[in-house]
Amino acid sequence: MIMSRREALLLPVSPWFIALSLLMSLLLSMLLGLSQALWLPDILAVSIFFWGIHQPRRVGMATAFILGLWMDVQHSALLGQHALSYVVLSYFAFSMHRRLLWFPIKEQMLQILPFFILAEVIGLLIRLSTGDDFPGWTMLLSPFIETLLWPVANFILLAPQRRASDPDANRPI
Amino acid sequence: MALESLDRSPPPFFRVGFAPLTKLIFFSALSLLLVFGDKQLQFTKPLRAGLSTLILPMQWLVLQPGEALSAMGTYFQNLEQAQTNLKAAELKVLQQSVRSQQVEQLQIENQNLRQLMGLQSSMAVTSQTAEVLFDVPDPYNQRIVIDRGQLKNVALGSPVIDAGGVVGQVTRVYPLTSEVTLLTDKDQSIPVLNSRTGARNITSGDVLAGQPMIELKFVPASADVKEGDLLTTSGIDGVYPAGLQVARISHIERRVDISFARIHASPLAELKGRHVLVLQPSAASALNKGKAP
Repeated sequence: MIMSRREALLLPVSPWFIALSLLMSLLLSMLLGLSQALWLPDILAVSIFFWGIHQPRRVGMATAFILGLWMDVQHSALLGQHALSYVVLSYFAFSMHRRLLWFPIKEQMLQILPFFILAEVIGLLIRLSTGDDFPGWTMLLSPFIETLLWPVANFILLAPQRRASDPDANRPI
Repeated sequence: MALESLDRSPPPFFRVGFAPLTKLIFFSALSLLLVFGDKQLQFTKPLRAGLSTLILPMQWLVLQPGEALSAMGTYFQNLEQAQTNLKAAELKVLQQSVRSQQVEQLQIENQNLRQLMGLQSSMAVTSQTAEVLFDVPDPYNQRIVIDRGQLKNVALGSPVIDAGGVVGQVTRVYPLTSEVTLLTDKDQSIPVLNSRTGARNITSGDVLAGQPMIELKFVPASADVKEGDLLTTSGIDGVYPAGLQVARISHIERRVDISFARIHASPLAELKGRHVLVLQPSAASALNKGKAP
């Protein structure tokens, strides 16, 4: 992984933590889905994008596809609808993972917003093309909220990798 | 040393698998195949049934916070309120018992009359109660999930009713749960009978001013329809038993430029209730009766 200039050195990631975080975001997404509010963010999409940026070798398009199918069944949506938007999200995460972390967090948010919008629009286009009605404008709020969650994801998901910062004579960093 | 014996495969450091674009194209094509398979060809049914059973434990886990909250709400409910609720329920049962006793008598009378006239007797409907687990999260359609499935003999297409009237129809059956499409869904139609005029119509779900409603289709602008007319199932579809209450007409819009009237009715069923009744489709029960010796 390429380090940003501003980020302190990180410990290696534990694969178990990645699995756990994806599971927790899956559960959260299922929970938020039950309320049927259109504007609620898709937390699983944020997690998939986050790990796609930080650990592109471990969380890729296959993982995104399987988690997407899971969401499709949970939502009773068309099979493949969430899968396609997560796969596309994961692809763009991979394609920009070397570049994105060099920017400060606000500029990162500005760069990832179009991809969250794209993921939302893909799901919408699939449903409109198969003959469903437009569900409401509030659904366009959710990519913005997902982008606002990016610093939160940065804080929570990188927490286990941050080094304890108590330098002494034997430990200069 | 012969050249052939050299290991020419790259060291593991450079092994990155398929190119990202290849993977993107592969998975996108797979997703689109699933989308169209799911919409048009119906070959994804076993996959969906399997996955839905697999995610059942997690669905149960996700439902727990809501259950706990509502349980806590009931626990802290005022005793007085509980007592008034009980009183109201008892009163309702009393009123209904008078009615149901009349129904018994009427049914016997009706049967006798039908026998006298040589008409086919109407059949009894078998039913089972089910609990509503949750509303389907998909914002594009209106469905609920109930806790009875294939293992409890829920048949595809079974009508579902609650205390108020028709709720909808079972449209997907999984081993342990099933999905009910509400009658206010865009793709759900019910043949109905206007109980005042006896006119038969067909309905479909529609949204009017943000409120889920049903719309009467293909009614001429000159037809005799009034606000407050009661719509019941007509029973000619062989799915819904005749005489179930469906909706009451609430909006009528007659316009000169269209030869049809736009008629909306509000459903009588409490669509977000807790318990529902799943009926056997009447054609299916008739078939079963025919098979039985």
